[in-house]
Amino acid sequence: MSNKILGRDAYWMNFYGLMLLTLIEVAAVGADLGSTAEGIGMTERQITLWILTVIAIPKFIMIAAIFMHLWGENDSGILTLTALFPAFFIIIMVLFIGMTHPDGGTSLPDWCRPGTYGL
Amino acid sequence: MGERAVSRRLALISLMAIAMIVVPAVTSLPSGISGVKDTGCNCHGTEADPSVTASISGLPESYNASETYNVTVSFTGGPAIDGNANLGGFNLWASGGTLATQDSSTQLWGPSEASHTSEGNDQRSWSLVWTAPESGSDVDFILHTNSVNGNEGDGGSSGDMWAKAQVKVLGFGAAELPEADPFKVLATLIMVSGVLLSIVVLYVFYRNNPEGFEWQRFAPWITEWLTSTDHKKIGTLYFVQGLFFLGVGGIMALMMRVQLASPGNEFISQDYYNQFFTLHGTTMIFLAAMPLIAGFANWIVPLQIGAPDLAFPRLNALSFWLQPVAALLIFTGVFSGAGADTGWTGYAPYVVTENTHAGVSMWAAGQIMLVASSTLTGINFLTTMAVMRAPGMGWFQMPLFTWSILVANLMLFLSIPAFGVGLIQVYLDRTIATAFYDVASGGDPLLWSHLFWYFGHPEVYVVIVPAFGVISEVIATSARRSIFGYKSMVYAMAGIGLVSFIVYGHHMFTSGMSPALRFITMLTTMLVAVPTGIKIFNWLKTMHGGSLVYRTHTLWTLGFLVTFTLGGISGMFFPSMALDVHLHETYFVVAHFHYVLVGGTVFGFFAAIYYWYPKMTGRMLDERLGVLHFLTAFISYNALFWPMHRLGVVGMIRRTHTYYITTDDFQALPEWAADWNMLISVSAFLFFASNLLLVVNMIKSLIRGEKAPADPWGGWSFEWMTSSPPPTPSFDPHNLPELKDANEHVANEPSRLGQMFRRLMVDDDASEGGSH
Amino acid sequence: MSADYHDHDDHHPSPWGPHDWGHGAPHNSWSPLILSIGSGMFLLTLGGLFTFGEYDGRYLPMVFVSLCVMAAALIVWCRQDMSFDGSYEPRSVGVPFKNIQIRKVGVWVFLMSEMMIFSSLFSTYMRYRQGIPRCDTVFESGDWVEGVAVTCFEPASKLIASSWWHIAPGAINTFALIISSFTVVQALRWANKPVGSVDEEVRRKRVYRYLAATWCLATLFLTLKMIEWFIGFHVPEIGFLGLHEHDIHSLYSEGYLINNDHYQAHHYVDEATGAHMVANIQVSATLFYVTTGTHGVHVFGGIIGLTYLTYKAWTGAYNPQSAVSIEYFGLYWHFVDLVWVLVFPFFYLY
Repeated sequence: MSNKILGRDAYWMNFYGLMLLTLIEVAAVGADLGSTAEGIGMTERQITLWILTVIAIPKFIMIAAIFMHLWGENDSGILTLTALFPAFFIIIMVLFIGMTHPDGGTSLPDWCRPGTYGL
Repeated sequence: MGERAVSRRLALISLMAIAMIVVPAVTSLPSGISGVKDTGCNCHGTEADPSVTASISGLPESYNASETYNVTVSFTGGPAIDGNANLGGFNLWASGGTLATQDSSTQLWGPSEASHTSEGNDQRSWSLVWTAPESGSDVDFILHTNSVNGNEGDGGSSGDMWAKAQVKVLGFGAAELPEADPFKVLATLIMVSGVLLSIVVLYVFYRNNPEGFEWQRFAPWITEWLTSTDHKKIGTLYFVQGLFFLGVGGIMALMMRVQLASPGNEFISQDYYNQFFTLHGTTMIFLAAMPLIAGFANWIVPLQIGAPDLAFPRLNALSFWLQPVAALLIFTGVFSGAGADTGWTGYAPYVVTENTHAGVSMWAAGQIMLVASSTLTGINFLTTMAVMRAPGMGWFQMPLFTWSILVANLMLFLSIPAFGVGLIQVYLDRTIATAFYDVASGGDPLLWSHLFWYFGHPEVYVVIVPAFGVISEVIATSARRSIFGYKSMVYAMAGIGLVSFIVYGHHMFTSGMSPALRFITMLTTMLVAVPTGIKIFNWLKTMHGGSLVYRTHTLWTLGFLVTFTLGGISGMFFPSMALDVHLHETYFVVAHFHYVLVGGTVFGFFAAIYYWYPKMTGRMLDERLGVLHFLTAFISYNALFWPMHRLGVVGMIRRTHTYYITTDDFQALPEWAADWNMLISVSAFLFFASNLLLVVNMIKSLIRGEKAPADPWGGWSFEWMTSSPPPTPSFDPHNLPELKDANEHVANEPSRLGQMFRRLMVDDDASEGGSH
Repeated sequence: MSADYHDHDDHHPSPWGPHDWGHGAPHNSWSPLILSIGSGMFLLTLGGLFTFGEYDGRYLPMVFVSLCVMAAALIVWCRQDMSFDGSYEPRSVGVPFKNIQIRKVGVWVFLMSEMMIFSSLFSTYMRYRQGIPRCDTVFESGDWVEGVAVTCFEPASKLIASSWWHIAPGAINTFALIISSFTVVQALRWANKPVGSVDEEVRRKRVYRYLAATWCLATLFLTLKMIEWFIGFHVPEIGFLGLHEHDIHSLYSEGYLINNDHYQAHHYVDEATGAHMVANIQVSATLFYVTTGTHGVHVFGGIIGLTYLTYKAWTGAYNPQSAVSIEYFGLYWHFVDLVWVLVFPFFYLY
């Protein structure tokens, strides 16, 4: 409760931050990124996906850390570990189920294509 | 005992008698043997040739018992006779009676199968003697004849032509026997079991207080059971449910064994057989094994960790009550005549096609409720074990049974959401016609297999790991020493739990999934043997260092060690992909998983029943009946499942309602397969009957058993410190027991991991735990 | 087995009514049994209502009955909890959760299972998204024939992200969920203010108003979802916006449906020949509706919980001693928000 971000109340700061990031997300989809994408050799859809994924991560952390009290409380450390416990099982699931479609190989980058788990 | 009590008892007995009479009589007689495959002779071309005509003469329209008939088999047509080195051959098979040769032109391939000899291949007609059976059932004769041209140069078979003839000889009287709908038999048996169960419930209510028996007291008594949130009562309810469905699943298995007792049998058609093995699997895993485990977990875990109750008692009640309702949904198909017929694995896309029986929707719905139940159980037990251990009981002072329940619940809890999501997908596909597994729309059937086995493989460890815990408890108590290698036991269980999530692909080796995944799961599956082996050797070493007391639960534990090890060894054939492709879908698989599930889980939980029954009820079980139960069950169990290995290796296929030992069909099994199958079926009945001894023992001991002391076996974990049966709440919440250790300074020394945890933990003097 | 109902209990809490929390953990309750029967009936009758997409209205009354049974069970459950004032809040002993409230640990364990549920749904999505070619790729490749449906993946974002107006309901929903997360923590903050530092009447009003605001935002979320899925809306003529279209169609009226194997969209017309590409988009629609629908069901569950919390807050039951209940609900609610953080970009934008 006594947490502060930049000297302001943590809940409010978090709230402003989340609103800002969501606005950026919506804008990234609406804006025409075609020329930027060509500049770095990607399609517009790819660059949108990257922007969305990259923004989702801080949003995720902000909600978990501030609103769910995984930062700055007495019990934050141990509850963060609890929350991270399923990570291994989620990774296994995503790798084994999400990324092994028999036809999926062609649309994946090399490093996660079925058959090339670096083996 | 008052006169009134006697009259009540008589009333109950007459009620039981009336129920037995009113319930429709069961008529289940096989309709005889038929259905020999007609793929014909595969060494002389695959298609029958119409220019050849085979015939059998000398057979009567209907036969007399044990009478002897002269049979002549012959054929006409085919390649020209002139100049041929050989003329032809035949194969005759009869479904009953015995055949005998008359001269050297014929030979016998079995009591009821005959063929020509090399001397007899220059003729087109052969004579045999057939002795009719005594039974009076219809007999089928199947004749294959081959008209050959004798050209030996090119393998001898080009230009050969064959034909088939089939003759039915009526028996006397067998034809009038009515056929029974297997589902009626099953439904009747389930209802009889249900009636018996209710009678037992009423009887228990009566025995509860025979002197003050009054019907007015029945409502509050039953209300107490229906609404209770006490972990011991809920444990008992789980236990009753588990044993009831163990019986129901057993009955289904027996009916399947009746069907498989002889080759070509038609007692249960393929359509019904599909439903029987589906419901057998689902019942045994979800409605028998899991509730039995949950029952013991409910009873013993809070007692072993010194907690007054579970963390969330009302959620616990919800976990239980979801189960009987789910069971009703799963069985709706049986009572409406169209049960689920997909196998317990319910493979897509068949499971979502309209060709399946209507019961599949409710089968999925019932399992969705079981998923909800298991999730709630998981929340409850994980939280309880993490937060409610008595003072002084660190993680590495927890008894091994509690550890096993912790590991099992963790596996179950993290894997079952995948299954739940898969089931909801199937349920939605079948109701509102979503397209998850609609192949025409691009749906991927393998996705279901992935989601199912992501759950399914941890699930099979979920049912075996608690048995490990039981065995560890029993063997330590019986050997009168602490378990050998406590920490390695814990790490082994945790290792099994972790590895279980990355091995599931071995169920899908033949499915065409990603080759890399196949390779990974092959390696990790072989890894499973390591922690399991550690556990086996620890148990052996515990016995080696101790001095074993042979009680019934000790015997079951020793039985477990033998059968589970055998099951584990047969399991090590499967990770090898090449061997798996051969053994896939054969009875070798059936033998393997019954060796680990029955010889492992069920034996383990029989040990648990004998071990903890005195604690639960305050009455000792009868040891003589117990030993008799063990001996009969152990022998019949091995006779039941051991031959299946051999049948599997020679290619007997599972999930198929019958098998053939004759005709030249290449799928036919050797003749001895029929004898082994008969042995298996007989043993199945013996195994079922011997388990009734346990039920008798439990009921008898409940009424007249010797009063049990608090610690009958000399165990030293917390549950033996309470009275038998324990009070409610199990421990006084304001005065919890404390675990003391003689080597306290060593035992409470935190490990490196423990030191890390300690840095993260909330201090005792923190204001109001988190100060929001 | 020989327990007599009246023997060992010196107080007699009714299995229907409020618990006596002063004596520790809850005693007897009809709620679990009734809830189980209700949910069983619901699944049974839902299976009767729809069979492979065939609707049979005869089962509709039974579906309502089963929902009522479940509601009754929940009311019993909540009624028993109304008397909870925070005096019974056991804390963990031992490593590693020492001194943390047991129920809080329970909620976090529950969230683990929720994480696995949504991982399964996302794995399903990834598998299909990678395995099935996109409709516009197929269209551009020209590998299709007029009149023959091709199976391809048409993400909902193709329709939703096509204009600012189409994306408006989803975008507003995103903000609604973030704001509602914020109002929940504000309610918790007011409930937690130390006794004496704040007027109790002010506390009561603040807490229940913040919770009521959360309730309204959650309801707004589901309403907008219905508009986006089924209803659509009309944009009035506003000069400076220079709109091309005034009727914003719902996904339903665009034909984005789970049973549509002959999907035609205006942008799949070959301008040279005038031929239409017809697509089977059942899998894409299924994934969209079921994944966002699962999230919607979680929001609905949150609304039920909020109804109870708001009512209890209105009676003034929340104070620093009992405020943790709001926190436990909040954990669930923030998790639902977290899931939306992932669902929104991958189902609505990408």
